[in-house]
Amino acid sequence: MSEKITVIPRPSSSIKDKLYLPAIYDGVKVTFKHFFQNLNDSNAIDTLEYPEEQPRDISSRYRGLHRLTHRSDDTIACVACFMCATACPAQCIFIEATEREDGKDEKMPKLFSIDTLECVFCGYCVEACPCDAIRMDTGIFSLIGNKREDFVMNKEQLLSHKGAFGEECSCARD
Amino acid sequence: MSTFAIVTAIASFALGALLALLTIPVLVWLERRIAGLVQDRLGPNRTNIAGFRLGGVVQSFADVVKLLLKEEYYPSHIKKGRWLFMLSPIITFVAALLAFMAIPFADILHVNGEALRVQALPIDFGVFWYMAISSIGVLGVVFGGWLSHNKYSLLGASRAGSMMISYELALGVSILAFIISYDTIDFNAMVRYQSGTLFGFLPAWGIFIQPLAAIILIVSLFAETNRNPFSVAEGESEIVAGYMTEYSAMKFAMYFMGEYVAMNTASAVIITLIFGGYQLPYMSTASLIENFSLFALILLLIIPIIVFLLIRWMQKNNRVRPTVQTDGGRNFETKVLTIALTVMTLIIEAILLYLAFISESLLADTLSVTLFQIATFVVKLMLFNIFFIIIRWTVPRFRYDQVQKLGWYYLLPLALLNIFITTLVVVGVHV
Repeated sequence: MSEKITVIPRPSSSIKDKLYLPAIYDGVKVTFKHFFQNLNDSNAIDTLEYPEEQPRDISSRYRGLHRLTHRSDDTIACVACFMCATACPAQCIFIEATEREDGKDEKMPKLFSIDTLECVFCGYCVEACPCDAIRMDTGIFSLIGNKREDFVMNKEQLLSHKGAFGEECSCARD
Repeated sequence: MSTFAIVTAIASFALGALLALLTIPVLVWLERRIAGLVQDRLGPNRTNIAGFRLGGVVQSFADVVKLLLKEEYYPSHIKKGRWLFMLSPIITFVAALLAFMAIPFADILHVNGEALRVQALPIDFGVFWYMAISSIGVLGVVFGGWLSHNKYSLLGASRAGSMMISYELALGVSILAFIISYDTIDFNAMVRYQSGTLFGFLPAWGIFIQPLAAIILIVSLFAETNRNPFSVAEGESEIVAGYMTEYSAMKFAMYFMGEYVAMNTASAVIITLIFGGYQLPYMSTASLIENFSLFALILLLIIPIIVFLLIRWMQKNNRVRPTVQTDGGRNFETKVLTIALTVMTLIIEAILLYLAFISESLLADTLSVTLFQIATFVVKLMLFNIFFIIIRWTVPRFRYDQVQKLGWYYLLPLALLNIFITTLVVVGVHV
């Protein structure tokens, strides 16, 4: 048993390390270097000056604000199957179904709202949807409102959002 | 007492109060900007009044307004001693503020046969004043931590109390070494001693006369200000916010500002004791007044260069990147500041020209030297505050027992050894 014990010497046992001051000097050298470099040219700092500069790294896989897709004739693609509302871990999707009159499908949502204050933007609704009716490819990353009700997106608002990466219509319903 | 003496006294007091109080927002801003620059960020640079950002210093004033307008909240579990709970941040703040008042901002003014001290408190026992008053600050911390009726606060307070004992001895003994080698307890006389030279070529600064005591002094003053690497009393990673946990709004701000005033005071004491105070090396007050014309000429040449470099730097940095459409009024600000700086420089140049070539008045020369010394003091003070800030963003916090060990096992014996050697040398030289 005892031969398996290895004693690792503490790294800070030399006098130089115990003095602290040489280490502090090394550290100060690093911080001073960064300080003067950035003081000399503050625009070279790799930060985003946000409201003026918008993020440039939003890819097609970015999970932004939701949208409801359309069919080719601009009607709603959703069939109100409740798969998204069932999959939602935050339980923020509220659907009320109604009968669809134009013969394309049997059902469509009468009300479809997402409480974005509760939404965790996990994307499970998008994966659960069998009709490619809900997507998160709007590229919208910030939402502004004056009261809580402003953050509950209703069906019309969700339908009005545009896809930011080319694909406009549902790929599963035509 | 002449009118001039009264004016000097009032001006010195106002200068002391301004230097201690008006630097707080500047220091808070400096801390945040320097932290940003050290960590490759920008720091607060947005807040502005009519487009004037001044690098973001307006943010601190906005913060003060916010803290003033916040709700005065008392934790309901504090039943007894609420007045002391209120008073303790004030004790810390006032102690740091009063300790600053004994620092000389310029040499003694000799006008019409009167010797006037340019000190907020015109006393000649400044070192004792500083040591007496600055130690009171920890009382506010201990009271606040005890009366918060909170385990974290109590831990923070007890840490502050026991840490104070461990560094205060080393601090006192190291200052004693300076008292012995300068042979005075007057801050101003100490600075005058340091305006001479050592071995004919080194400035007789404390750091060259007493290098060991200087290091001990700097380390224990870092501990005295409760700042990193000795911020164990606050210790946010272990005990929430230490003694400040139950404090909010202006009560918290008093502790917060007290920390910055203490930092300012510590910087002032460091430069006064070991970095030549308000003097530049090799230039004593008498020689400055004697050769004032030459000195004014040199200033005349140097000031435009400094201002030119400053304007160049501002024009380079006070702008947004080319990719950004709106500049948020930065161009306008740069233009106005450039004009203001140029006009100021021209005025100073004109005054210096007048003093160098036309004026023969000794009073004018003396006053200009005093103003120059005040400016030197402020620049040195700010440089040391920046040093304090850089250290804070460089060094991680010591563990609590490490601070104790450092104080008792290393600093105190070294300080005692130092004072032993100092005494031997001083006695040897004088006998």
